[in-house]
Amino acid sequence: MNPQPATTLYVSKDAGSVSLGADEIANALMKECATLGHSVTLVRTGSRGAYWLEPLVEVQTPAGRVAYGPVRASNVGELLQAGMLDGGAHALRLGDVTQLSWLASQQRLTGARLGIIDPANLDHYITQGGYAGLNAALALAPAEIVRAVTESGLRGRGGAAFPTGLKWKTVFDQPATQKYIACNADEGDSGTFSDRMILEGDPFALIEGMTIAALAVGATAGFIYLRMEYPHAARTLAQALRVARERGFLGRNLQGSGRDFDIVVRLGAGAYICGEETSMLESLEGRRGEVRVRPPLPAIKGLFGQPTVVNNVITLATVPVILARGAAFYRDFGMGKSRGTIPLQLAGNVKRGGLVERAFGLTVNELVYEYGGGSATGRPVRAVQIGGPLGAYLPESQFDTPLDYEALAAKDALLGHGGVVVFDDTVDMARMARYAMEFCAIESCGKCTPCRVGSVRGVELVDRIRASSNGSRSIDLALLDELCDTMANGSLCGLGGMTPFPVRSALKHFREDFH
Amino acid sequence: MDIERLVAMANDIAAFFDSDPDKAVAAEGVRFHITRFWDPRMRREIIAHLHGGGAGLTPTAQSAVALLTNSPNQSK
Amino acid sequence: MFARGYHDCGTPAPADGAPVTLEIDGATVSVPAGTSIMRAAALAGGDIPKLCATDTLKAFGSCRVCLVEIEGRKGFPASCTTEVAAGMKVRTASDAVNTLRRSVLELYVSEHPMGSCPDSSRCELETLAAAHGIDESRFAGAASPRDVCTPKPADASNPYFRFDNDLCIVCSRCVRACEETQGTFALSIEGRGIESRVSASQQQPFLESECVSCGACVEACPTGALMEKSLITAGLPQQAVTTTCAYCGVGCSLVAEITDGAVSRMVPNRAGRANQGHACIKGRFAYGYATHADRVTRPMIRKRITDEWREVSWSEAFAYAAAEFKRIQAQHGRDSIGGITSSRCTNEETFLVQKLVRAAFGTNNVDTCARVCHSPTGYGLKHTLGESAGTQEFVSVQHADVIVVIGASPTEAHPVFASQMKRRLRAGARLIVIDPRAIALVKSPHVEADYHLRLLPGTNVAVINALAHVVVTEGLAKDDYIADRCEAESYEKWKAFVSDPVNSPEAMEKVSGVPAELIRGAARLYARGPNSAIYYGLGVTEHSQGTTMVMGIANLAMATGNLGREGVGVSPLRGQNNVQGSCDMGSFPHEFSGYRHVSDDATRALFESMWKVQLGSEPGLRIPNMFEAALDGSFRGLYIQGEDFAQSDPNTAHVTAALSAMECIVIQDIFHNETARFAHVFLPGSSFLEKDGTFTNAERRISRVRKVMEPLAGLADWEVTMRLSSALGYPMSYSHPSQIMDEIAALTPTFTDVSYEKLDALGSIQWPCNEKAPRGTPTMHVGSFVRGKGKFYVTAYVPTHERTSSRFPLLLTTGRVLTQYNVGAQTRRTANMAWHSEDRLELHPHDAEARGIEHGDWVGITSRAGDTVLRVEITDRVAPGVVYTTFHFPESGANLITTENSDWATNCPEYKVTAVQVVKVAQPAAWVSRRQAEQTTI
Repeated sequence: MNPQPATTLYVSKDAGSVSLGADEIANALMKECATLGHSVTLVRTGSRGAYWLEPLVEVQTPAGRVAYGPVRASNVGELLQAGMLDGGAHALRLGDVTQLSWLASQQRLTGARLGIIDPANLDHYITQGGYAGLNAALALAPAEIVRAVTESGLRGRGGAAFPTGLKWKTVFDQPATQKYIACNADEGDSGTFSDRMILEGDPFALIEGMTIAALAVGATAGFIYLRMEYPHAARTLAQALRVARERGFLGRNLQGSGRDFDIVVRLGAGAYICGEETSMLESLEGRRGEVRVRPPLPAIKGLFGQPTVVNNVITLATVPVILARGAAFYRDFGMGKSRGTIPLQLAGNVKRGGLVERAFGLTVNELVYEYGGGSATGRPVRAVQIGGPLGAYLPESQFDTPLDYEALAAKDALLGHGGVVVFDDTVDMARMARYAMEFCAIESCGKCTPCRVGSVRGVELVDRIRASSNGSRSIDLALLDELCDTMANGSLCGLGGMTPFPVRSALKHFREDFH
Repeated sequence: MDIERLVAMANDIAAFFDSDPDKAVAAEGVRFHITRFWDPRMRREIIAHLHGGGAGLTPTAQSAVALLTNSPNQSK
Repeated sequence: MFARGYHDCGTPAPADGAPVTLEIDGATVSVPAGTSIMRAAALAGGDIPKLCATDTLKAFGSCRVCLVEIEGRKGFPASCTTEVAAGMKVRTASDAVNTLRRSVLELYVSEHPMGSCPDSSRCELETLAAAHGIDESRFAGAASPRDVCTPKPADASNPYFRFDNDLCIVCSRCVRACEETQGTFALSIEGRGIESRVSASQQQPFLESECVSCGACVEACPTGALMEKSLITAGLPQQAVTTTCAYCGVGCSLVAEITDGAVSRMVPNRAGRANQGHACIKGRFAYGYATHADRVTRPMIRKRITDEWREVSWSEAFAYAAAEFKRIQAQHGRDSIGGITSSRCTNEETFLVQKLVRAAFGTNNVDTCARVCHSPTGYGLKHTLGESAGTQEFVSVQHADVIVVIGASPTEAHPVFASQMKRRLRAGARLIVIDPRAIALVKSPHVEADYHLRLLPGTNVAVINALAHVVVTEGLAKDDYIADRCEAESYEKWKAFVSDPVNSPEAMEKVSGVPAELIRGAARLYARGPNSAIYYGLGVTEHSQGTTMVMGIANLAMATGNLGREGVGVSPLRGQNNVQGSCDMGSFPHEFSGYRHVSDDATRALFESMWKVQLGSEPGLRIPNMFEAALDGSFRGLYIQGEDFAQSDPNTAHVTAALSAMECIVIQDIFHNETARFAHVFLPGSSFLEKDGTFTNAERRISRVRKVMEPLAGLADWEVTMRLSSALGYPMSYSHPSQIMDEIAALTPTFTDVSYEKLDALGSIQWPCNEKAPRGTPTMHVGSFVRGKGKFYVTAYVPTHERTSSRFPLLLTTGRVLTQYNVGAQTRRTANMAWHSEDRLELHPHDAEARGIEHGDWVGITSRAGDTVLRVEITDRVAPGVVYTTFHFPESGANLITTENSDWATNCPEYKVTAVQVVKVAQPAAWVSRRQAEQTTI
């Protein structure tokens, strides 16, 4: 008698899913199937990013994957009873999850494989279009790779939005014999998680992107600066790097090309400032994470004084699709000077949070209401903070603003790394302004005075304002404004320089909270 | 002066010049050095010592001291 | 804080760049490319406010008070970190800039309120804030000042300075000075944000940390956070005098700041070519000995050394000494007396002493303490290259690709040059260390030797020959250079010699203990260069083959073409401030100033006509010969200026016997010393602070010593020599040392154009300075060697007579420690004792284990010459079979055990190799206790 073919189950092992109970669900499923004599194979994938549906279980059926979620441990028995392994009906049955409008309406280019593949399985990666970009790149001269990236319009997704092709060109033009690729995986902004999702859900995309960058600029060594708060990512990444090395995608003579490139992972030690590129380089070199003065640009004198491409995870993980499908394909997404897609991370007080990758141009309204479904508490949404703890607060009146670098800049706001945090009408915006100063004070490296001293004085000032009578308040409000000027104009890096964004936007749009 | 010390000094100098295979050249080197750097009373005593048998002097040192005269330093 | 009156341009000068013209506040300014806006403005006379910037350190950009506006650029770039560009239009004080700057200053003042510093007028922050009309900060609340917000007690552990965190503005100037200027990396910022604090090592008190107390941080501090303790009490200086350090042969240019007639602070001269604005613990802080209560300030005489000293007038002392010398000469002949010049004294004083001996005594029995340190350098380099001096200036090291350090420990003995060397090493130069001991350079922060050839003491020549063997047999010699610049015959002879398999690394490995592969690697690295520079110390010279080794070094440098330009060369690191000078001045018994033999008729005639006296044509006695002659009765009188034979010369028993045998010893010193125990006349000396003159450092640099205070005993050393000469019937009548220098210049071809006037104009001069080189000679042997063609000498390895045996199985070698100096006469009378209060014997753990010796035990050390007792330090800095000690304390008696072996050519003692046995003992030697008891009764 032929043994019954095993049914394949997919459960995310992404840290976000795990925190919602994905491991317990996976264990319970395996245990219950064993008890019932069902033959199943469990594949632990990354997350598709629909965290509001996690833990999500998908079953491979002849008709395709059928999803159930969000699954609680108590649901496991009943789901199996309901014939889940054959795609049976249940209240939690979502059908083909990609057909849900939340996912179907997204434009997944960078995150195309998230939630689909076993992240450390190179065959899965290749089957899903992986390494097509590298193959294309290997057929090109380095300058042509740089040109393709330039023409795609890709800009740094870490927050600064600097044109990636221009940066690569600068490194390419340096005559140095030793160059480096340094990947910034110190994703420290509150409410952001797209880097982590790639690292945990599709690390080969990053490895491939770094390899292409290396071919383009002539680097032979790469570093990934990974925050130590991402232990799951560290494990998955280590596995993927090992596999890539075993299969000749890293190391000497890549795929017989005669080119060498390998990657080393370095763990950060919990300093937000090390997400700032020059501090990251200092830290990579084994020094105190302190901002370096620019110039020289890292592209000219970067890691260990050598020309270095410093890019964020998302930026590098986007490179393969550009090479695989062409610069024009990618450039056709987006609006204005913001080309391609942006993985937005929707979080905070919102009903349907998660990863929304869309071409630039989606409005805040569309993101918060159509994807997010409004606040989780059901109360009116009062504000969103875009771009991490140093991003501006937008009032609901400005929710028609498209999520695009230039459009946000026109509103004294910024897109940053694409994190959007939602607040309902119970938020105290004076407290949020104080928090911005406090965040800066806690995370300041202490090098420059506006940030080191200014942030502490900022906290004290907001406290004074909140506690004071009308007379002195207006003086202190003026002083706070001057302090914001000083920090914005005088700080050495973006930490102190951008702290005024949340403070000033709170003052401007929610001044009543300061009275 | 302590003649043993002078003999040791002369021998040390000879040991340096002895690396020259031509022993005449070596002896001349030693002679010249002693003439240039030794106080006359030291030169007198080492010459007297040689005349008394030259005990302890190595062959090159002996040859060199034999070349030494009590005559004063000559302008070079 | 920096020296008075120094104009700080904010950022260092760039390497030469093409001129760039820009506009600053409407004025056109032209500066070299690579100049910062801050520096350009300062050079044009319009200083931009700054706090974290100083022109001794790389731009850092943290204080944000130097922000400016540049037309066409966004925001407010920092002028310290922004380089000039052609056509740039900069506004340094627009309304926007001023508002921003005031606001930043107010943030500073919020944590460092006005009036916090002990001396607000010297606090850069308070001065700057006051200039901006700020008297308090609008941002400050009750809890904002640092002493409230983040208080921390002041650290007063270092005897010379204290750190008060409450006054710190976290500009990192101290941290950067420790890294960039000193290269020790002892300081860092710990914590972050407002909690950022300067930390010595792992938040340790300064004294217990890795800090070497060079003081660079103290000087760099813009506030009173790091401050000399002397300044806290002394108050503002009224005067500043530029002078030259009297410790090691680096010869740092220092500025003595004087408050109410006393030195209140010593700071390095930023314009000093040798030290490049840096100093070490000794030069900067350890000057207190000059006014120590132990100073002898009255002349004294006694008939017999068993008599009590009797204080007398200067006149009586001179009359007595002169009468005694005359009496001895009458009874025992002209050559029965002599004199010793000191490498601690000035060129002028040294010149006078040898003049006194040659002209007034009428003998050539003059020698100098350089006899016992670097005499082989003079002999070896003169014979091979043609000049008895190092070939480079210190800054040359910044052009070296490969640095070789042989028998020297620059971080201990020449710390300021070591910092320059380390800077070059951090910039990528390769390093070869040839030393029996793992000196600090072998591995220290950001510096690691590519090769450490850890040879057995006494085998230098074996190693240099093996290196030469590799160069010659592997085709690494620079044939064109040799053909062009060297004697072909001598080269062929030498080539044949070193090519002999007996000189191969494999053969020499058995002798030196250095693995052949390391020798081969080091030789290839040195020969490859392209610029390879050799620096060496007493570990080369103080051997029975000291001269041979110096010649071997010169041979190797010639064979590889590493002489005659910047970045290469053969550079002796001189131990004392004026070793070079004392040799230059004719202190050796066989030669006049400028290294001209006494038998040279023309030279003698020159001196005779100037000095109006007939001069001897025969060489006089060297120091060890003087001792021999004293013991046989033919040498009975000696004038010793600034030298302590009884402690510093080898085989103490022999030396003291000789001294005891003499009838008149006149000693001139600032303190009672060991030799004074055998003296009949004591003439109080003057310290470097008490006189005018010049010192010549290891790079042939002549620098002015300037009087800071009056001689405590009333006469400067040169005046004492002059008066003694006059008493002897040979009158000398100089009214100022500049006249002595004029005489030196008139008599010495390498000094023809040297004068005080020129020294004042140029700051310092490297000789030769004459019509061919009116501004001096930084690099020697450019184009051709001084002697014409370079001459190779065959340098066969001749083992020392000093061998290990079953009775004396270990080899003792010696060296120095940073905080003490030589016999310690000066440094033992300063707070430097806090770092090093006794000499210790370094012993390898294996040798300790075999003898049952533990860390801190007292051990007896016995050699063929004698014995002493030291406390032991167990360390693998020394190899098994080798022991090491410093010799800074008389009670250590290191020279009780050193032998009479000496260099064949110069009689420089073999201090560096003594076969010894080491055994555990219960207590210090009996003689030490005896001596200590004696000391307390003096």
